[in-house]
Order: sequence, then structure tokens, then C-alpha cells
Amino acid sequence: MKLYYFSEMPHHEFPDAEGDKYPSLRLAFPNTFFSPEIAHRNYQRYLDEYDFADQAGFDGLMINEHHSTPSCVNVSANMTTGILARTTKRAKLLILGNILPIQENPIQVAEQVAMADLISGGRVLSGFVRGVGVESWWANTNPVHNRERFEECHDLIIKCWTTPGPFRWEGRHYHFRHVNPWCLPLQKPYPPIWVPGTASPETAVWAGRMGYTYVPFLVSFEVARELFDFYRQGAAEAGRTVTPDKLGFLICAVTADSKAKALQAGRNFVWRMGPTLRGPLEYFSPVGMRSRAASQFALKARSVSLSKMSYEELVENYYIVAGTPDEVVDRFARVQKELGIGHLLLEAQESRMDHATTMRSIELMGKSVIPAMTRI
Amino acid sequence: MPPREEVIVVGNTKVHLLIGGQGDPLLVLHGAGGNRGWRRWMAAVGEHYTVYAPTHPGFGRSDAADWMESIDDLARFYLWFLDVMGLSKVHLLGHSIGGWTAAELATMRPGVIDRLVLVSPTGLKPDEGEIRDIFFYPPEELLEYTVHDPTTVPEWAELFGGKPGLEEIEGALRNREMAARLTWKPYMFNPRLAHFLPRVQNPTLIVWGREDQIVPLICGEQYRRLLPNATLRVLERCGHLPPIERPDVFANLVLDFLRRA
Repeated sequence: MKLYYFSEMPHHEFPDAEGDKYPSLRLAFPNTFFSPEIAHRNYQRYLDEYDFADQAGFDGLMINEHHSTPSCVNVSANMTTGILARTTKRAKLLILGNILPIQENPIQVAEQVAMADLISGGRVLSGFVRGVGVESWWANTNPVHNRERFEECHDLIIKCWTTPGPFRWEGRHYHFRHVNPWCLPLQKPYPPIWVPGTASPETAVWAGRMGYTYVPFLVSFEVARELFDFYRQGAAEAGRTVTPDKLGFLICAVTADSKAKALQAGRNFVWRMGPTLRGPLEYFSPVGMRSRAASQFALKARSVSLSKMSYEELVENYYIVAGTPDEVVDRFARVQKELGIGHLLLEAQESRMDHATTMRSIELMGKSVIPAMTRI
Repeated sequence: MPPREEVIVVGNTKVHLLIGGQGDPLLVLHGAGGNRGWRRWMAAVGEHYTVYAPTHPGFGRSDAADWMESIDDLARFYLWFLDVMGLSKVHLLGHSIGGWTAAELATMRPGVIDRLVLVSPTGLKPDEGEIRDIFFYPPEELLEYTVHDPTTVPEWAELFGGKPGLEEIEGALRNREMAARLTWKPYMFNPRLAHFLPRVQNPTLIVWGREDQIVPLICGEQYRRLLPNATLRVLERCGHLPPIERPDVFANLVLDFLRRA
């Protein structure tokens, strides 16, 4: 099983009591609490940690993007990937991902991913996501078009990578008269496509139909298995066989020299389970963004909100793994056994987890956990 | 005369329609909250006019129209609706996004309208302030902004008092989705509308609630300035729903205005 290192690049250097005054940390919490000086240091630090994860032997580095939130100030997955394409040597660069429905120019996305793939020597894994509702507000993109735009944007990007230009694109949401990108991926026909999921059965079916790697984020084993069933349904429709290499899973994880230290560090993940997801439903799932089926599935998938779970429950139920390297190996093996996955994505830094703790965790993962994973 | 419910087909779209009253035709276009049924003010106006109250495509139990993109699409649809209904000339009344639709329709074919009533219409960018983002709030919080004082609303219990059933919840969700489809960006206005409004010579009554917290009153003044024959009437102690909040005063205002035809 392959392991991936991931940091959301948080900016949690403000008093929590200030954040509590607003309906949500997303969209509503004023950016007067953003500190350019701190962010400057943080970016250097987070990029150093990514570089170290590459050196430590992680199979991949996962890079994401959010907007209008201190929980993730990585505001351009492609920019970060471009940097890491140059500073890292061997790990795959998993962009998970470009938020397709909010893109105004899919050709630019095709170009930027291609450029990162070229700089990195063909190490890019190109994830495509629908985004949470906050991103639709940020971009002011009509949420009722979210799925249509996701699929059309995807189709145009793939066409950019597979059809010689120039050509014309006249879709419903995108219109380009002269498409001829002079930047194409090194990997042929194009970088592997990945798709995450939290609740949408349609996305799982679609990913299966397309043969893309599918990764549920922070859900229970039971829900992940249901989503994988939808994925297999789509794969079967297209006559595809599902191998572990097509299935991934994302959890939070940290290791340390002692269990006590690891459990202490792991508490930093609680912030992303509750406070950063707090807010009106309209922020996260604006009208029309989710289908009825997805809304119903989301209710079931989150019958108990992560924010309502204690730290101990989050650890018990594998949302967070925190322990010595040996314990972490055992927990990861259990995840693999439960889900039959080929990729485990680790959100491995969060909230106020300090640099030294993060680096030690990466180091121990490299020395003891990653080698053990090759046997799983 | 009690209203009757009909389903008519415009193009490929089935539209639910309430028809009630007697007299010259008055077409009523509802707001983003959907068709609220045969209301007290309609019964009063219906004593002198035949009220046609369709449910917009995509709203309530009318067919979906996912192909629509904007309020001027809806306005063109209602021009077609009038053709199908054989109505060559109507009084036209619209509330909120229905008022915006009525204004767009009037700029397209003013000759099909006799008198025009715009009630708290969206459609213009306020010179000052903002149109509240109705999609940003949970419905119950939005209702607090929408109505000035629930205790003065005669039909409050009937309209908002009960716990909604599954069908009502689904209907409300459809209404919000279609409203979002039509009004998302630019949010609740058409930057070109102001340039076309001077074409509309029809006598126009604009009605606004003084306490409207959804669409600023200044938009009413802008409409009055841009429409050559418009009067603005402001109702005190009233929010964004004059026909519901002050049904009797509102009905009288409308009747007084239409009778001058």
C-alpha cells in the first residue's frame, strides 16, 4: 500500500475565541486575522515539510486547495505543485485537486497541470474535485451548475490532452473558439486522474465508469465500503475490473517516539473535524449543489457529525491514527484489510502541530512505517 | 368566485396555474418563495379582475426548465404563455423576482400590458446598499428578514405556522434551486435593464415596504425614475412581502390603480 503525505497549510495563529464570534471560520471570519508575516514563515515551513516527506520516502505528496478559510491557505494547488515539481525528486505529486466547477478557463488548468508534469518529469497525479460549497461562494459560481460544470470542464481538459489543436469548444458552460495549448503533459495519454468523495454516489459511479482512482475522505469504513460499491457499479457498467490501485482512503495520522507524544500531537486534528467545518449548511452545501441522492447519502454518512465525536472516538474509529510507528503500522494494515485499498492518504500536519513534531513524524514514517507498507 | 387549478402547456413545459375572480385579466408573477396559493389579497382583487397566478417553470409543481439561465428567459416564457392563453392584453403584477420578470417582459413587449404593478421588485443594482443574499441564509433566518412583524400578518399561521411536510420541503427546495438558477450572477439584477426601462410608457404602480430588508427601498426610487409613468407607494411597518403583510391595504392600492385604466 502506498502512503501519501498531505498538509492543508493551515493558518491557525489567531485566538480561537475570535473565530467563535463568527458563524463560520469559512467565508465569515475576517481576513484581518490573516498575518502576512506568519504566512510567509508558514509557507516556507510547509514546503520544507513536503520536501522532507519526499526525501523520507513517501510515495506521494498530496496537494489541495481551499479559499476564504484559515483551515487551508494553500490557495493554488497548481502553484504549490509547480514549486514541488522543482524541489522534490521522486514522490508522485497528487493534486487533489483542481476544483473544476469554479474554473472559468479549463484550458488554463490543462496547461498548468501539464507544465507541472513536465517540470516534475512525469510525476503528477491529476485530481479533479467538485469542491465544497464555500468554493462556489468564493468564485461566485452558480451551485446549481456544479455537476454540469465539473463534467464539462473535465471533458475539455481531457480533450486538450488527447486531441491535437487547434479545435473549437462550444459547450453549455464553456466556449472557446481556438483551443491549441502549447503545453502538454509528459505522461501519455495524460496523468492519472484521481477523484475524491465524501457523499456523492453519482461521483463514485462516474469515477468507476471512467476508471479513475477514487478516494473517500474521512468517512467511516462502512460508508467507504458503500461508496466503493457505487464505484464498482460504475466500473462494471464500463466493463472495468477494479484493482486496489484504483482505491484510496484519506485519514489523519501522526507518529512519534512515544504513544503519549503521538496522542498529544494527534489532538491537533480535532480542529479540522469540528471548528473548521462549523457553519450554516448554506455555506458548505449551497442550494442546488447536491442532488437529492447525495443529500440523503450525506445524512446517512454523517449520521454522527465528526464535530460531535470525542478525540478518543475519532481515534477509535480510524479518523485519526496517532501512535508509535509500530502501532501506526498495525492501524494502517487494518485500514487496508477493511477496505482493500492501494493508496492511503495521510493528512499529517494540522492546526498548531509544530514543525519539530511534524518533521519527526515524517522521519519516523520514513524509517519504520513506509518500509512496512511495502509488505501490505 | 373560487379559483380553479389548471395545467397548461407552454412549449414543452407544463405550468400549474390558479385562475380566479372575474373581470379583465390580471397576470400575477410570484417571487422566489414560490406560488403561495390563492391569498386574501387575490380574493379581494378577484372581485373585479380575473387573476391568473401561474407557478413559474422549475417552481412548485410546474415542470423543470433547467435550460433557463436568467430572468429574461422567464419573461420571454411568459410572453409565450400569454399567446397560449389567448390573452392579448393584461394587467401585469409581479412581486420580487416576479416583479423583475414583469419589468423585463414590459421592456420586451409593452403593448401586451395595460397597467403594470411592481411589488418590491429585484432587477436593478441598488445605487446604495445591497440586495440581501437570500441563498446565504437558512430559510428560517431568511424569513425573519423577509417579514417585518409576523404578529401583524393575517395569514401567518396558514403560510408559515405549521411544520412543513415532505412535499412542502421538496417544493421549497425546488423553488430555491430555480431561483438560484435564474438570479445567481449578477446577483438579482440585470445591468442592461435600466437602459430598457424608459421604453415602458405603461402606467406603473410600484409598491414597497418601508422596512424591506431584502431589496432596499432605493431600488423603488430607481424604478420610479427610470419608468416614465410610474408612481411609488411605500407601506409603513411592512417588509418585503406587502401582499402578505398588508393584504387589505395592498389590495386596495392595486384596485384603485387598476380601476383608473
